[in-house]
Amino acid sequence: MKFKTQVITCFGMIYGIYAIFSVYHWTSMDNYEHDIEGYIKSYSMLNLAYSIHEWVNVYSKESRELFANPPNKYIEQFTKNQDKSLQNVNEALDAYQKVDRSKESQEIVKKLKTIVKNYSEIDKEMDVLLKEGKKEEVSQLYWNQGRAVSDKMIELSNQLQTIQNEITNEKLNQSLKKYIQTTKITKIYMLLDYLMGGTLFSWILWNVTRRLNKVSSVMAEVNFDSLEKLPRINMKTKDEIGKIALSFNEMAQALEEHTLHEKELKNATEEQSWLKTKVAEFATMYSGIDDLETLGHLFITKLTPIIGANYGLFYIKRSIGDEDVFQKIATYAYNQQKIGTDHFRFGEGLVGQCALENRMIVLNQVPNNYIKITSGTGMASPSEILIIPVEYQGEVLSVIELASFQSFSHLEQLLLKEIIRNLGINIQSIIRHMQVERLLQESQALTEELQSQSEELQSQQEELRIVNEQIETQYENAEKKTRELENVQSILEEKAQQLSLSSQYKSEFLANMSHELRTPLNSLLILAQMLAENVDGNLTAKQMNYADTIFSSGNDLLHLINDILDISKVEAGKMEITMNEVKLSDVKKFVDSQFTPVARKKNIQFNIQLASNLPTYIHTDTHRLQQILNNLLSNAFKFTNHGTVSLTIQKVEKGMYAKQSAFLHSDIEFAFSVKDTGIGIPAENHAIIFDAFKQADGTINRKYGGTGLGLSISQEISRLLGGFIEVESIEGNGSTFTLYLPNNKNLNSSVISLSEAEVATGLLEASGSGPITPVVSSVRSEEVRKQLHERKALLEGKKVLVVDDDMRNIFALTTALESYHVEVMFAENGREGITILQKNPEVDLILMDIMMPEMDGFEAIQFIRKIPKFQSLPIIALTAKAMKYDRNQCIEAGASDYISKPVNLEQLISIMRVWLYR
Amino acid sequence: MNNNRPKDHNELEEIEINLLLEGIFRYYGFDFRNYTFPFLNRRIWNRMREEKIASISGLQEKIFHDPFVMNRLLDDFSINVTEMFRDPSFFLSFRKKIVPFLRDSPYIRIWHAGCSTGEEVYSMAILLHEEGLYEKTRIYATDMNESVLRVGKEGKFPLHKMQLYTKNYLASGGKKAFSEYYKVQNENASFHSFLTKNVVFAQHNLVTDRSFNEFHVIICRNVMIYFDKVLQNRVYNLLHESLGLSGILGLGSKEGIKFTSIADDYEEVDTFEKLYRRIQ
Repeated sequence: MKFKTQVITCFGMIYGIYAIFSVYHWTSMDNYEHDIEGYIKSYSMLNLAYSIHEWVNVYSKESRELFANPPNKYIEQFTKNQDKSLQNVNEALDAYQKVDRSKESQEIVKKLKTIVKNYSEIDKEMDVLLKEGKKEEVSQLYWNQGRAVSDKMIELSNQLQTIQNEITNEKLNQSLKKYIQTTKITKIYMLLDYLMGGTLFSWILWNVTRRLNKVSSVMAEVNFDSLEKLPRINMKTKDEIGKIALSFNEMAQALEEHTLHEKELKNATEEQSWLKTKVAEFATMYSGIDDLETLGHLFITKLTPIIGANYGLFYIKRSIGDEDVFQKIATYAYNQQKIGTDHFRFGEGLVGQCALENRMIVLNQVPNNYIKITSGTGMASPSEILIIPVEYQGEVLSVIELASFQSFSHLEQLLLKEIIRNLGINIQSIIRHMQVERLLQESQALTEELQSQSEELQSQQEELRIVNEQIETQYENAEKKTRELENVQSILEEKAQQLSLSSQYKSEFLANMSHELRTPLNSLLILAQMLAENVDGNLTAKQMNYADTIFSSGNDLLHLINDILDISKVEAGKMEITMNEVKLSDVKKFVDSQFTPVARKKNIQFNIQLASNLPTYIHTDTHRLQQILNNLLSNAFKFTNHGTVSLTIQKVEKGMYAKQSAFLHSDIEFAFSVKDTGIGIPAENHAIIFDAFKQADGTINRKYGGTGLGLSISQEISRLLGGFIEVESIEGNGSTFTLYLPNNKNLNSSVISLSEAEVATGLLEASGSGPITPVVSSVRSEEVRKQLHERKALLEGKKVLVVDDDMRNIFALTTALESYHVEVMFAENGREGITILQKNPEVDLILMDIMMPEMDGFEAIQFIRKIPKFQSLPIIALTAKAMKYDRNQCIEAGASDYISKPVNLEQLISIMRVWLYR
Repeated sequence: MNNNRPKDHNELEEIEINLLLEGIFRYYGFDFRNYTFPFLNRRIWNRMREEKIASISGLQEKIFHDPFVMNRLLDDFSINVTEMFRDPSFFLSFRKKIVPFLRDSPYIRIWHAGCSTGEEVYSMAILLHEEGLYEKTRIYATDMNESVLRVGKEGKFPLHKMQLYTKNYLASGGKKAFSEYYKVQNENASFHSFLTKNVVFAQHNLVTDRSFNEFHVIICRNVMIYFDKVLQNRVYNLLHESLGLSGILGLGSKEGIKFTSIADDYEEVDTFEKLYRRIQ
């Protein structure tokens, strides 16, 4: 049965019984109260009855007193008293009547009332009599009537009293009886109740306590030290305590599991902490180690025991030769057994394999002839061997091999992994450190070297400085000398100039003299010839001989004069060139006809060769070409006594002319080569043969004749034709003279005068300085004249104010403008300019310089623009400043336009025309 | 095969500098393209450090889009190393050799090209004053950089430099007490205004602008050492254009006209002090 039910039942019963009892008690109490009320009522009626009795007595007394003939002074008071007591009686009677329920007494009361009334009437009678003074009657009244009534009255009241007494007592007794009954029943009930209640209560208590005890005893059994094994409450009932038991059992279960779980966690944490401690130990171990051997040794010594191994080997990667090899550098419990190797390559053996794969290798079943772990008391094979790679960023740096009698626990393997990870980093850092050390040493060595070198340099610098000073003094000396030399040079130049001038005069003179010289000579020759012909036949043979001699001498003289005149013409710059189309075959014919006889006479072979790729015509001056070829060939024949003379005409290839390639030779096309087998020209004379008035040596004239002018003339002429002459010769081995010519298609057949060209260029150069650039007009003269006329018309008569502090400008502008009939005024600065303008307000245009003292152009322009009548006066700014910003500034200041210095006159006139246009 | 290997770093910088200068010329009109390369390099890198820019091309961007940066660079490019009576022997020589010749002229025009903050100009003014030539002289003082011209116009120089300047002045043949020419104001020496009565300060760029007058004396000292040969020749020609016949050209102690295009038109008045007279 459920506990709840039990309790409910138990207490329900108790409660029920009690409820019944209470109802009973309630009712009886009510009855009791009712009775008591009745009793009290009776009692009060009794009291009333007593009262009535008393008042009746008093009344009768009072009346008796009156009946007893009191002294008069008391009558009033006694009457009053009597009335009062009568009144009281009546009141009491009324009161009694009101509450009276008993028939008996009601009758009596009625009677009494009647009696009292009777008596009062008697009283009243008495009063009257009294007042009348009929005392005797009064007495009579009393003794006859009064007393009997009064006695009746008293008797009645007594009766009433008695009845009421009885009633009251009756009631009281009844009440008492009832009360006793009630008390009895109550007692019974109470007893019953106690008994029942007690029983039930005990039973329940016992039940509950028993079971609770069970529970608590089990709970008490719980051993808090070993929470993984808890007792269970064995209770089958399904009531609340059963539920508690169940819950307890469940909780116990949960607690057991939790404890177990906790234990596991704790274990794990301990493991972790152990791991971390060990790892930390290892981490701190690395500080201060800076070489690998120490590291290896320290490491393996520390690691092996911690990990639970009995034997350890530390291999590090080294470069031996050009291979990477893992070399054993440290051991633990090594006993020099000759099993196992000192070094492995990648992939060699398990160590090498481990390194290659970068994966740990575990050997669980170690064969017998493997390494043995030894101590003083014996030796045995290990039961597990681990080979672990140590890597840094994917590169295997080291391999650790560990052997143990026991298997490596999971925890130990974890530790190993952690430590190895750190180790990799540290090995790397040591390697780096070693590298840095090495580099440091190297750099130190270098620094020392540098230092010594720097010292060397310093001393060198010192030397250099001294040398420098010496050089400076030398330079100064050199400068001085140079200046002297320059002086000399300028003197020389002057002299040379004078010389050239004089030679020019000479040449001019000679050129002019050509006619003067040739005319008499011609007549001489003709006459001599005529004489030699001996037409009249009147001369002797000797005389004819004389005439011949005169003729040939004259001829020689003529040739000489021609040569002299030619060279002087060339030097005076008056040689004329006429370009035309020259047929090369004609050239050949000419040369042939000229020199074949000469060749025959001297018995020299004469060849003329024309190359096949030559054009039919070339553009050049026929006469001059012939002159040059003539000269070259005659020289060739002159200086050759036997052998060959040949003329070759060919097209030019690159590189054919080596000596004068610096000259303007881009358009040379043809080469005329005269080759001979004559006496040749020594190398040192190759240059001077082209000089005028010089022959290779002073004796040549005597032996070979000639003026020595030919080659120089030829050279000059060739230059005029746009080409040049080159010589190749070896003394005793003949010579080759080559004339190079361009194909002058572009040259107009107009007169090209050498000297005129020079003068023109000279003029152009000289005109570069100064503020005004002379105008080079290439327009046809007609148009120029027209333009000029127009301009002149627009500018004529205008007034222009020039404001500039540069006197050159003022001068130049004034001159130029006045040539256009412009009236020019000028001022040297802004202030002056304004003053002049104000004095001459009819100025048409102002040319305003910018950079001036006192008041610059900007200020002046601004000032002028402020004056209303000059607001639209054209002002052209002359600025030496070239930047856009500066020019814009001119416009912003109020200028109408600007023109830059140095002033281009043409441009200035244009601008002025624009602004003077009306 | 790597035919498109980028040019090495120095070449790239050179290209960047050239582009920068070209850009500056095209946009602002200032022509620094012919200044000497080491000078340009130094000044440009300095500006980059100041502006915290990492590359020259970056500086170019700033130059185009922020005129203040251009101004600062302009200041960088202005060479402002100057003292009063710098190289006193120059001024001494000027006094001894040039002044007597100037006495004959009715008036004198002198041009200080590249006058910077004006120390040189004031020195010349003092010298002419002492020689009694100031009244008939007009001095034109020009520089590319407007801000230094403003300083020059003010005539206030730091007080702590006065010691050096006094020494220089005395060594240059100064006849009076140097302190007569200035009065002390706070930390500056303020030169009397009578010294600049006949001085015209104007902005003029030797690289881009042309001749604006003809002078009797042109002083252009230590301006062209940062120009390359091409530019130097151009400037020498400009000076030549602006100098009258028998005019005097004065150069800096490390300069000389010997290998310039105008060399033949001048004779030496003082070789050491680089004073030349135009003879044609």
